[in-house]
Amino acid sequence: MDYARSSSFPTDPRPGIQPPMPVKIVVAGGFGVGKTTAVGAVSDIAPLTTEAVMTSEGVGLDEPRSGSGKSTTTVAMDFGSVTLDHTLKLYLFGTPGQSRFGFMWDDLVQGALGALVVVDSDRLVDCHGAVDYFEQCGLPFAVGVNAFFGQINYSLDQIRWALTVGDDVPVFAFDARNRISVRDALLVVLDRALDNALGRQAIPG
Amino acid sequence: MKHERDEPERTRVRPFLARHGSAGRSDRRSVGGPRPFVLTSGRVATDGPYIGLETQVSARYPNDPAVSLLPAEHRAIVALCAEPLSVAEISARLRLHFGVARVLVGDLAASGHLDLRSGAISDPHDPDLIMRVIRGLRALK
Repeated sequence: MDYARSSSFPTDPRPGIQPPMPVKIVVAGGFGVGKTTAVGAVSDIAPLTTEAVMTSEGVGLDEPRSGSGKSTTTVAMDFGSVTLDHTLKLYLFGTPGQSRFGFMWDDLVQGALGALVVVDSDRLVDCHGAVDYFEQCGLPFAVGVNAFFGQINYSLDQIRWALTVGDDVPVFAFDARNRISVRDALLVVLDRALDNALGRQAIPG
Repeated sequence: MKHERDEPERTRVRPFLARHGSAGRSDRRSVGGPRPFVLTSGRVATDGPYIGLETQVSARYPNDPAVSLLPAEHRAIVALCAEPLSVAEISARLRLHFGVARVLVGDLAASGHLDLRSGAISDPHDPDLIMRVIRGLRALK
């Protein structure tokens, strides 16, 4: 794969189209909690999703919320993007918070501004893997409780208690289907990221 | 479910990504060989700069006749990158395992076919950058 470029090369390099600077936020959570929905709600491209009918590997292990009507389940990673301006493009990567997808997580988290952990109040345990991981690697995150059918079955204080996340971690309800609601959820993550970044700056040296 | 597909599925690369029911779209066909990393001669990394999911890639010489001499997967990547694209998008659109796409993109950058915007890996701890993202998101309607 050694292609020497001579001065008589037939085509000129393209005039510099500067690609936008990519930034990313990770959207994590258990199966069927609405990660893909949330990504799709704000993405300005149709989300490129690897969502497929659950493989036999997942049967019996990953039961989507009963009654959610969801017939497919994310088995890999789905993502979308929001072009914020011509120099800045936000990528949203949805990932199942499962240890068997751990091989992807380092790449997901590298350079990420923060993470939104999407939880279903009936299946809190599904997000433990994601919360543990983000706490460990120090990625700023916020917990968004997806309000299925417009309601959540426990108070946010109960959910915070059950998740045992720090007081500084925002826990709030949102609607993964609603563009503005998802945008606001991402803003909560970014506020947290900003606090974190300013805190780092404040530490001398 | 195989009989539902419009054409024989050749998902030897990422069989778990097979789209039951919506298969048959020509852009969904997989390229590649018997196992993902055969395409990379077994390599899972390259020596070049770090290539992330969101790293922006563009073809340096989109009309380079030499591109036609490249292997099919490499040609497909160069063709996709006429406009800047992320490695994640390349991986999804060509149905290549991300790890495979990353190695092939690294090779193509090393051989001068692709430009990586690797110098611009954003610092996620830069308050000014975070503020720009916040302002951009707030403007969303």
